[in-house]
Amino acid sequence: MLLQLRNIFKWVQQGGQRIFLLKDINLEVQEGEFISIMGPSGSGKSTLLNVIGMLDTFDEGEYDFLSESVHTLKEKYRSNLYKEYIGFVFQSYHLLDDLTVEENLEMPLLYKKIKSSERKALVADMLDRFSIVGKKDLFPTQLSGGQQQLVGVARALIGKPKLILADEPTGNLNSQQSEEIMQLFKKLNKEEGVTIIQVTHSEKNAAYGSRIINLLDGRKI
Amino acid sequence: MFKNYLKVAWRNLLKNKGYTFINVGGLALGMAVTLIIGLWIQDELSYNSYFKNKESIAQVFQSQTFNGETGTWSALPRPLENALRDGYGDNFKHLVMCSWTNDHYLKYGEKSISRPGNYMQQNGPELFGLEIIKGEQDALREINSIMLSASTAEALFGNEDPINKTVTVSNEHKLNVSAVYSDIPVNNSFNDTDYIIPWEKYLAVNEWIRNAEDSWGNNSFQMFVELADNTTIEQVTDRIKNVKKDLNEDTAQFNPQIFLFPMKDWYLRSSFENGKQEGGRIKYVWLFGVIGAFVLLLACINFMNLSTARSEKRGKEVGIRKSIGSQRGQLIYQFLSESFLVVLFAFVVAVVLVFLSLNGFNELSRKEISFPWDNGMFWLVSLLFIVFTSLLAGSYPALYLSSFKPVDVLKGTFKTGKYAGLPRKILVVVQFTVSVAFIIGTVIVMQQINFAKNRPVGYDKEGLIQIPTFSQDFVGKYDLMRAEFIGSGAVVEMSTSSSPTTQIWSNRSGFTWEGKPEGFQEDLAWTEVSAEYAKSLNLKILEGRDFSRDFATDSLGILINETAKKYLGMENPVGQLLRDDDEEDPNPPLKIIGVVQDMITQSPYEPVKQGVYVYDRHDNASYYNMRLNPNQSATQNITTIESVFKEHFPEIPFEYDFIDGEYGEKFASEERIGTLSGVFTALAILISCLGLFGLTSFVAEQRKKEIGVRKVLGASIFNVWNMLSKDFLKLVVISCFIAVPIAYFVMNGWLQEYPYRVVLKWWIFAIAMLGAMLVTIATVSFQAIKAARANPVKSLRTE
Repeated sequence: MLLQLRNIFKWVQQGGQRIFLLKDINLEVQEGEFISIMGPSGSGKSTLLNVIGMLDTFDEGEYDFLSESVHTLKEKYRSNLYKEYIGFVFQSYHLLDDLTVEENLEMPLLYKKIKSSERKALVADMLDRFSIVGKKDLFPTQLSGGQQQLVGVARALIGKPKLILADEPTGNLNSQQSEEIMQLFKKLNKEEGVTIIQVTHSEKNAAYGSRIINLLDGRKI
Repeated sequence: MFKNYLKVAWRNLLKNKGYTFINVGGLALGMAVTLIIGLWIQDELSYNSYFKNKESIAQVFQSQTFNGETGTWSALPRPLENALRDGYGDNFKHLVMCSWTNDHYLKYGEKSISRPGNYMQQNGPELFGLEIIKGEQDALREINSIMLSASTAEALFGNEDPINKTVTVSNEHKLNVSAVYSDIPVNNSFNDTDYIIPWEKYLAVNEWIRNAEDSWGNNSFQMFVELADNTTIEQVTDRIKNVKKDLNEDTAQFNPQIFLFPMKDWYLRSSFENGKQEGGRIKYVWLFGVIGAFVLLLACINFMNLSTARSEKRGKEVGIRKSIGSQRGQLIYQFLSESFLVVLFAFVVAVVLVFLSLNGFNELSRKEISFPWDNGMFWLVSLLFIVFTSLLAGSYPALYLSSFKPVDVLKGTFKTGKYAGLPRKILVVVQFTVSVAFIIGTVIVMQQINFAKNRPVGYDKEGLIQIPTFSQDFVGKYDLMRAEFIGSGAVVEMSTSSSPTTQIWSNRSGFTWEGKPEGFQEDLAWTEVSAEYAKSLNLKILEGRDFSRDFATDSLGILINETAKKYLGMENPVGQLLRDDDEEDPNPPLKIIGVVQDMITQSPYEPVKQGVYVYDRHDNASYYNMRLNPNQSATQNITTIESVFKEHFPEIPFEYDFIDGEYGEKFASEERIGTLSGVFTALAILISCLGLFGLTSFVAEQRKKEIGVRKVLGASIFNVWNMLSKDFLKLVVISCFIAVPIAYFVMNGWLQEYPYRVVLKWWIFAIAMLGAMLVTIATVSFQAIKAARANPVKSLRTE
């Protein structure tokens, strides 16, 4: 088992009232799953994803990731954990504008303190695999949305994560670009056994996954 | 990793050129000011570093109390020498009597120059550790010898070997050059001592000095000592403090205290207030130190404000980096390396700025500071300075930026408050508080200088020159020369005096007069003058009459000044007598024939001292004072005077000074302070405005959409301008109200040092405040109007 959420609650205090963002979420994810989280706006999809990705905290409940109880870990240890095992893909790509494609890909490796020669090799592999060798010296703003997201996925993968978290990865893309990215996810999941959890609005994209979780007002339905 | 940080930082700097310019430019200005002040302070603190035994060298001083006022002097009586040698000799390695440093004429062959030098006892050169580069070590052994500084030797002898050549001093004493010592560098005591002649010669050629051997009342000499190894300045002072009091009954009533004044204090702590050592130049070292620190702070505040104002732009990067696995510490490190890079740049620019402005600065501050390229210590300190500045400027932005939560910033809903957060507002207030305080301080310094400059001097200093007449050649020739000079048409009136018009060289006591209060200890400024003194200076006679050549008895007559009239307590001074109170061998009594207007001879900030002008019976004055012919040009007059002078004194170099120039020297120190603080204030304001300019442009950028909406809804350009400017103006007004009391307090304290001082008026503060506000409005308006004029459709469409 990759991760397990037990009775997760998350709320904000507003005018003396608790507004629940997540309410009693229980979830088990096995390695190699491809999960789609669906639900209307404000249903807590992204919040759930961020909690799983340890970018956000929760107020109640327990979270085990690879048998480590995340809720008891210190910040520093937690960031070591997700740096090692989790890769993020964002709707608006979130590449660093000041770095070239190559440098953006290299960045996670820097934080993992990987040696220079090894970094070079890994980046070259990734460029090759995504067929963007010719774009390696361009800056993100010089690329189309689809290309940027390709780099985003490549960046998420370069650290060899066990889990990829994707928050509406195709939200800013046209249908053809979307198709390509989803095919890529499918391939990664099938051939390399990477666990993927994606948030999506589209039934079509959700269908790529092996399991769909529906959320409404912070609850699983 | 570090490389990656620098790469990002570098690209960031390139991308935001305006921001980079403001940041690097502001920091560079601030660092340049701090650097140049640092060099200045280093120069001040290194005064006298030429003397290797600096720590154990001291000058002997005395203080005496007259009517409850304690004065402190370096001038000592001759008998003190033997008293110290005989009674306390083992406290000193060396003890050296020394004359004052005065100009004399030196002549060799056809070459004749006027240079300052003095007389010293034999082991003076050893005490000061002079480096003998030619000739014998014990150079003052023979009475008819002279040792020259290297530059003086070169001026007189050129490439010739000066050793054992004969130099004629003051046109009469033939002295043998026994040694040449390397020049004492500037920024050291005795830097102006170009030659040294044996003390024995001083005694041999001056009867009055020989006569002073046993006179405890004649305080005309200097004494320097080097301490013995096993003792300290304090210990020796404690032993010798009462030596004069114990040995001399006559002066005991003035409670003379003898003490050692250590060389390390000669330059920076040479001020004595009522017998106590109190400050001196050190206060300027502190003043500029504080100014330097503040200017640097202002520049760092710019950096902080602009960095945090841009946080929305950098926020996204923080979020991404954190989601990829960066820890907060790594981000802090990244932002600190960025500020290090910026500061490093700024430092390079600052070094260039300092290098370019050093000449001008030297001129302003009368220094000879050179850029210490080859000084390892300087670069080490600079490195520390860069790191310190990076931390000062970069810490707050680093902590602030790295604290962003990735979820918040990545969602895109992140906003840093409306515009300037509270810390940023506080920092702007700090900046303008400092700037406004600087403005007020500078205006008050300038005012005080002008106030003292406009003070009536009591005589007419325009068109008046003085010619030094120290040489024996001038003795007895005054009447002849006066006729010659006036006859030449260049001079309308002239006189002689024993001190220059702008100084008092001699003070006397020991008189009685009718109505003198019991136990009154008088102290009178004493100037010996020729009959035409008042006439040549256009000094007004208020009571009685001027000296007249028609009355033979005037040779025992004196003029007193207004202050002296009050001081002596005389209702009708004319005709009263000042009697010598020496009962055994009294000088003849002096009769007051007139009262003249007070004239400023000492500090223009102090009250005029009580003084008497005595008829010079010996025709042995120090200066000719000449009133130039107002109908001719000054150059013409000077040329004529020089040719007459050369005709009669062909051996003596012709030298002259304009009195108004000499008088202007009295303001030099305050004017320098005024100009320098004016320059630093201008830079401080410039730096603050640079920051404000940057800040406004960011606020305008941030509120672009709001401005667009407002304009669509009908806001005029003025409305928008008003909206944007008001917020900043508010901050500046707050600064003014903090700065004014602080500036008032500090400047009022500064003014207390000057008995003759300007009254602080409310409008000085009002002008400074108004000035600061105008500058703010001007700075803010550029961006505000630009933002207000932008087409709203554009800014709304981008959303």
